[in-house]
This record gives sequence, structure tokens and C-alpha cells, in this order.
Amino acid sequence: MNIPDGILCSKTHEWVSEEQDIAVIGLTDWAVEQLGDVVFIELPEVGSEFSKDEVFATIESVKAASEIYMPVSGEILEVNEELINSPELINEDAFGAWLVKIKPSNFQEDAQGLLEYNDYKEEVQ
Amino acid sequence: MLDKGVEMLVTEDKKTSLYDEHLKLNAKIVPFGGWAMPVQYEGIIKEHNATRESAGLFDVSHMGEVFIKGSQSVEYLESIVPQNLKTLEKGKAIYCQLPNKNGGLIDDLIIYNVKGIIDDIDYLIVINASRIDVDVPFMQEMAKGFDVEVINKSDDFSMLALQGPNAKYIIEKMGIELDNQPKFFTIISTKLENYPVYLTRTGYTGEDGFEIIFEHKYASLIWNKILSFKADFGVVPVGLGARDTLRLEAGLPLYGHELNENTTPIESSLGFFVPKEKEADYNGKKMIIGQKLKNIPLRKKLFAFIMEDRQIARADYEVYIDGIKCGYVTSGAPSPTLGKNIGFCMIEFDSLSEQTCTKLNNIQESLGMNIQIMVRNKLYNAKIVKKPFVQKNYEK
Repeated sequence: MNIPDGILCSKTHEWVSEEQDIAVIGLTDWAVEQLGDVVFIELPEVGSEFSKDEVFATIESVKAASEIYMPVSGEILEVNEELINSPELINEDAFGAWLVKIKPSNFQEDAQGLLEYNDYKEEVQ
Repeated sequence: MLDKGVEMLVTEDKKTSLYDEHLKLNAKIVPFGGWAMPVQYEGIIKEHNATRESAGLFDVSHMGEVFIKGSQSVEYLESIVPQNLKTLEKGKAIYCQLPNKNGGLIDDLIIYNVKGIIDDIDYLIVINASRIDVDVPFMQEMAKGFDVEVINKSDDFSMLALQGPNAKYIIEKMGIELDNQPKFFTIISTKLENYPVYLTRTGYTGEDGFEIIFEHKYASLIWNKILSFKADFGVVPVGLGARDTLRLEAGLPLYGHELNENTTPIESSLGFFVPKEKEADYNGKKMIIGQKLKNIPLRKKLFAFIMEDRQIARADYEVYIDGIKCGYVTSGAPSPTLGKNIGFCMIEFDSLSEQTCTKLNNIQESLGMNIQIMVRNKLYNAKIVKKPFVQKNYEK
């Protein structure tokens, strides 16, 4: 598992990595480990817009459904279609199996309060 | 993602004798009915499939045990469950329900006739962990007027379930030949290796298998001995997560989901287990027998369903028929065996048309009926099906 350079994590266990005005969003390895076998992922429609902390996706393990929150505001540019058919990929690589790519509307401000990966890891352990 | 999937233990949660063994196996521990229990070890799907294909070992020490003794044991039991106990032979077991005076269920139970098997005791009752504190006072109250003693032994025993097609071969390796193993729904007193146990041919997975009841001091020894057969028989430890998907596929109800104090066994689709004829009076008999004989119309009924859309129905999601809200999901999960999402739902008849109710009241006609489940504010399609979802593999 490769942890992308410079990713930021939310306290609700989403990660975001931003480059050239596109932000990639996923769920942290810790969160995926807690969920266990992931069997279903519901992703938003391309073009829809979400504010920071708004629910944009649902991920289901055998036992329960969990909501995923936007770590930063923005418009959905692309969703990971592969995950819809093979949700178990997220168990194999939480950072490779990104959920959505967005055009962030206010990244610098929204990113304040997010944690660097090492700090996040310390927080959850 | 919020941490709600990560349930926090509270300090009062009780631990079974095998708690440290679960930690050694890296189990994820969750609170369940007042107990700190393993929900999974290596993964729910893997544990589920191992139980169907080879063998799974479950710590079910949280379950309660009650001993019944006295000259009126059988009369007493006949007064608290709908089943006939007079015909239950020594060494045999029967699945029973414990109704309140309205016919709603206080618990569901397995009663074993242990005369000559457990010294000085007539019946062993195995009850749900979360209901021990309700069942025991209720059963003791009901015992007034009978020459009978109701003794709560729940803190005295550990209990394992060994389930799956290879279970019998593991028991054989532990010293009990196939021919000497208890038959379906019976109990024997025996030795596994050198450990004294009560060995039953029962379970909660739909597979052939055993439940093993013994003193706490043997818990780690028996647990580790059974798991040592992993290479030969593919046995793995299984947590409550797979226990739930296994019982759901087998169409078995879970107290607090399909069963509760406001729902009769007939409404919970357990009519098969309720005899039409029984001499003795018992709590709720008028309602239960009335519904069984169709003299009292059902207000609601439990149905099994398979999702046609890809969404997973979960407990408490709303159920709709022809756009009318008419019930709720009691249990729902992906079925690892079928690769489809399955569940049980309670459909209430009040708001539905007479025609729909007639159809629902006829088992054959209800099969294949379309229902909808509300998942995150959208309706998705499901179909009523026959239970069990997966054929049972009992050895009878």
C-alpha cells in the first residue's frame, strides 16, 4: 500500500490529496480496517456539488452502512466506477481505491483543520 | 465516516473465559447483550464460508443456562411454552418460545430433557444472553405453585458451537466415534479428549454441528484443541458477524429483531413449531392458538425477502407495498452464500388493501410478491421468498 505524498485526513477518516486544482478523496486505511469486508459502495453523480462535512457517499460492510463526509467542498468531476462493481478493492488498498475526484471550491480554507497522515495515525491509535 | 461502526465497549461488559484467546487471535471485540464479544477475526465473509464449507468454532459462552428440577418439572414447563414437553424423551431437545400473557415473546429457547444426563436435574434450558435478566425472574415467578426449582446456571458454564460439515470429524478426532455422537437435537454427557462436557447436536447456522457446554476451567483447552485441527479440517474461529449472516441465511430468527414482546410466534412465522393441540394451558395460549387456527386474524407477519436492486436492507428500514408504508426490516445483510442481499421484514396489515392482505395471508400466494425497501430516502425493489434462503445441511 502506497500512502500518497502530502495527503490530509479528516477526523471522520476521509483522506484528500490535492494537485493542480483537482482533489482526490478516499477513506483511510484505519477506517477500512475497522469496517472489515466492504460489500457495497454508493457514490454521488458527476456534476453534483457538496459542502465540507456533507455526506456524499455510503460504504457498507457486511455488518453496517456508514456515511462518508466531504473533507473539502467542491464539485464531483469523476467517481471510481471500478469500486461500484468491485467494492472489495478498497479492502486491498485504501489509498489506491479512491472514491471521487472533485474540483475544490475553497481548498486552502477547507484544508485547515485537516491532519497530516502521521498526525492522523497518532490520533486514531 | 463516523465512528459508529466502531462500537465502544463499556467497563461493565462481561468477558467470557475465552476473552484473552480472542485477543490473541486479533479479534475485533464489540459489546453484545452486556458482553464483550468477538465480532470477527479474519473477516466475516471468510468465517462465514469456512463454516459452510468446512467448520467454524464460535464462543457462545454468553448464552444463558437454566436448570429445572422437581416433581412437577414437566407440568411447569408445559405451563410456560406452547410446545408439548410430555413427549420429549430423555436426551432429546426441542426448540421452544417463552410467551407472555398476550402471546408476545419474552425469549426463544432450547429445552433439553437431561434426566439421567445431568445429575439430579430434569431439564436444561439454553436462553439468549441479552434476556437472562428478564427470563430468570419471569420463570421463577411462573414456578410459584409448582413443586419445581428454577436455577440460573448462566455464570457456571462456558459454551462453544462447532458448526459445519467437518464438525463431526473433529469431534471424532477428539475421541467420540461418529456412531456414538449425539443425533440431531439430542444431548449426551461425555468426554472430549479428557474434558467432561455436555455435547449437543444443535446450532444456529443451518449446518450440521455441535454445541459443547462445560466448566470454565476447560475453556481455553477445548478451544485451542479444536482450533489445532485447522490444517486437517479447515476449522477457523468465527465471530458474531458471521454468526448473524449464517443464521439469517438459514432463516433462523434472532431475539430483539424477528422476536419481541409485542409479536406472537405465529406472527414471527414460527407457526411450524407451535402444536395445534395441547392440553395444558400456557401464557398467551388463546391468542397463539387462535392465530394458528386462523380464528384470530393476524395483524402483522414476518416475511423473508431478497433484494432485487443492489442496495442492502438493514434493520429498521421502512417497507412499502404499492407505495404504502406498511412495515420495517427486522434483519438484513448481504448473503455470502447467495451473493445477494437478503432479509426479514415485519409487514403490518392495517394500512393495506384487503386484496393485498389476503395474498399475504396465503403463503403460496405471498411468494414472489413485490415489496420496496426505503434505503437512504429512495425505494428499492425486493421480492418475498420462502425461508430458509440457503438449504439446511442438518444430519438427521
